[in-house]
Amino acid sequence: MQIVETVQTRAASTSTLPSTAVSAPVVDPGASCRHCGLKCDGGLVWSAEGIFCCHGCEAVFGLLQAGHLAGYYASETPPGVSQKYRATLDANRFTPLDDPAIAGRFVEFDDGRMAVATFSIPTIHCASCVWLLEQFWRFDAGTTRTEVNLQRRAVRVEYRPVETSVRRIAEHLSSLGYEPVMAAETPGGTVPSLRRRLHLQIGIAGFAFGNIMLFSVPRYANGAPLADGFQSLFDALNVVLVLPVLLFSASDYFRIAWHALRRRTMALEVPVALGLVVLFSRSLADIASGRGPGFLDSFAGLVFFLLIGRLFQQKAFDSLAFDRTYRSFLPLSVRTERAGGAVPTPLEQLQPGDRMVLRRHEIVPADAVLVEGHATVDYRFITGEEAAILLRAGDTVRAGGRAGCAMRLQVVRPVSQSQLASLWANPLFGAPKARWMADIAARFGAWFTVAAIGLAIAGAAAWWPDAAASASVATAVLIVACPCALTLSAPITLGTAMGLLGSRGLYLKQPAVVLDLSRIATVIFDKTGTLTSGRTRSVAEADGLSDRAWTLVRRLALESTHPVSAAIAADRDHVLEGVENGAIAAALPGPEDVREIPGQGLSGTVAGVRVAIGSAAFVAAATGRPPGRADRTWVAAGDEWGWVRLAEASRPGVEDAAGELADDRRLFLVSGDVDTDHARWSRLFGSNMRFMQSPEDKLAFVAAVQQGGRPALMLGDGLNDAGALAAAAVGIAVSDDSACMVPACDGIISGDRLADLPAFLRFARRARHLVIACFTISIAYNVVGLTLALTGALTPLASAILMPISSLTIVTLSAGGMRWSARRMLPA
Amino acid sequence: MVGPADAAGMSVIVLLIAAGGLVAGGFLCAFVWAVQTGQFDDTCTPPLRMLGGDDPRDATPSPSPERHLHDHADR
Repeated sequence: MQIVETVQTRAASTSTLPSTAVSAPVVDPGASCRHCGLKCDGGLVWSAEGIFCCHGCEAVFGLLQAGHLAGYYASETPPGVSQKYRATLDANRFTPLDDPAIAGRFVEFDDGRMAVATFSIPTIHCASCVWLLEQFWRFDAGTTRTEVNLQRRAVRVEYRPVETSVRRIAEHLSSLGYEPVMAAETPGGTVPSLRRRLHLQIGIAGFAFGNIMLFSVPRYANGAPLADGFQSLFDALNVVLVLPVLLFSASDYFRIAWHALRRRTMALEVPVALGLVVLFSRSLADIASGRGPGFLDSFAGLVFFLLIGRLFQQKAFDSLAFDRTYRSFLPLSVRTERAGGAVPTPLEQLQPGDRMVLRRHEIVPADAVLVEGHATVDYRFITGEEAAILLRAGDTVRAGGRAGCAMRLQVVRPVSQSQLASLWANPLFGAPKARWMADIAARFGAWFTVAAIGLAIAGAAAWWPDAAASASVATAVLIVACPCALTLSAPITLGTAMGLLGSRGLYLKQPAVVLDLSRIATVIFDKTGTLTSGRTRSVAEADGLSDRAWTLVRRLALESTHPVSAAIAADRDHVLEGVENGAIAAALPGPEDVREIPGQGLSGTVAGVRVAIGSAAFVAAATGRPPGRADRTWVAAGDEWGWVRLAEASRPGVEDAAGELADDRRLFLVSGDVDTDHARWSRLFGSNMRFMQSPEDKLAFVAAVQQGGRPALMLGDGLNDAGALAAAAVGIAVSDDSACMVPACDGIISGDRLADLPAFLRFARRARHLVIACFTISIAYNVVGLTLALTGALTPLASAILMPISSLTIVTLSAGGMRWSARRMLPA
Repeated sequence: MVGPADAAGMSVIVLLIAAGGLVAGGFLCAFVWAVQTGQFDDTCTPPLRMLGGDDPRDATPSPSPERHLHDHADR
């Protein structure tokens, strides 16, 4: 029977709790929270203002009402961010910001009277968020102005440092339900100067393109040079207009080509730069000698279209960080014991021998040993598994572990030398990943350059006795041969595909990853956190306890991070006198006499009542009753007892998706866990399963699978997958909440879209086919152009028509074709 | 032989080109200014900003950052 039903049908009375009757109104079970719009399944807070899913949401709602900011709720869907997670947050998490060195990471400007700080807030998502956060000065009188950047999920706050502080701003933001990220890597004030430069380059090239066209058309229409000095005036104006295009807009192509040649490598920019140089010098020569108007309009147009392709290439998800190191998983500082108590210490200053004082749920920043007593630690951020490990005094705790209770640890090694950091010493992490796209571009660039120069020489030879005609034909060949297919079609197709995938929950690091995704031969899955959801277990069934007793059990469960306790503590909330029992449980005084016996159970006294959670034998021993069935977890509070059954849920649809992928790809399961439910996974993976794999094992396995040029896709979530994600042709991290806690990767997929992976891979393959189609079309244009060039018929007018038309066809086909395919192939 | 009428036509066109160039150059400068002041940095948030609507009680809009910094520097 579901807990929900048991709770609502029982009248409860326990002397340890205030004994008003349960009077929560009967509400539609599908009711959604007034603040965040989430379904309030189970847990409800009912107030005069409406229904809320938790107290956090109610508090934010009340705060906004008091500030006359109800306009926040004007949009159709409630815009708030669910505050259920708040219960797990440490109340002192912003204390480190009192240290100027740490606060300084958020501050980009400070002259003593005015300061500017930037916070990263992954939960910013809609117009209401923007509106509310830009009224932030109402909540913190010391701030003068806030500016939200939705794309980067960042808030820039201007404030008077004498009246407020970084810590107070962070606390106020948090109280509004927008929790700022407290990590070593903050967005900071990195101005996207590269993108500004590209915008300027495009603007100037477009400006020149249009105006040169304007001054060229009279001559084309006239069919002969214009009379009365107009021709020389227009020619002079064109040369003046084209100079900024040559020197500024096109400069990156020359620079990259020059670097490539000096390193004796090939890049696609080489033939492009060659074409541009020939185009420009031939035009100048024509104009100077009066032989013709030159190809300056084609030149400016070509640069303009090439730069548009580049704009697509530079697309990025600004709000996501793909290149994370272990450092971004660690806190900014840790409290250490100094004379006079616990002092926040920046991690850089942590020395072996220092004693760290950790609270529950804090991350252990350095390898250390437990000083005294017992403690539990889980490595969920490293392995993806939440199971707690029991430690005794003297046991080693590795950096990255999460404290299951308050504990004191003695540092063994500095942060940078921890085992966690050692994985990043692998050379894989330093070098940028080899992209198939770059490989093709280099090979195609070399081939294309040789072919174009060869054809130019052949053309010159054919016209030889006539030196002027030879030169003209040779230059015409180099002008018309442009590797547009790859410089224009690939960036636009892949950039559009990347954007379309991003709107469906698969965020790629760069457009070129789409091409790598299109030729995946092997898919490797991590188990815990990837195939199954990160919250590995949840209460599937429970029976036997009144909701009062259940509240006491939940209070005890909070003391342990064992998956069973975690599942009980995180169970859906039920209303008790208008307050959810999770909140009541959290408000109860700490249990006394808590004992946790690994592998058996947990017992303690909550508000004077003996409570036990554990195996049948453990609970039987604790309560003096005969043991129940062994296939479930038993719970007891006072003289009541009952049971719960937990299930490890695989993500919905994932098994079907894996089955579909198996049709034409090899599948592997690589897990750091013990081989528990072998039978369940062997249906999908057969014998392709490896268990008990260390991070280094996973890395080596991925490398071995890719031997012989068979690119692999690795899907993982924990830090222990970081090596495998870096080694795989494409490494995609699976993330459930905000993208705060993902290892370095080529892409991030949100956990609920994993079932769409087969569709995403088909879509990537379609993108490749579209690039090939554009390639064919551009070859057709090149054949026409080269025919004109070799027969000496490539006039400036022909070039001025052919070049923009071919570019426009490819731009339209690439962007339009991808959008059309997305509508047909991708789930909404 | 350039007749008086032709000369007049030429100078008018030159004048028009100069005027046109000035207008176009003005727009180019406006574009450069817009890019340099970061107006193309975030193309996502500003359209949403206007959806929020103004609070009638908030008659005095908060000052812009540059203005504010200057105010302080002047004192």
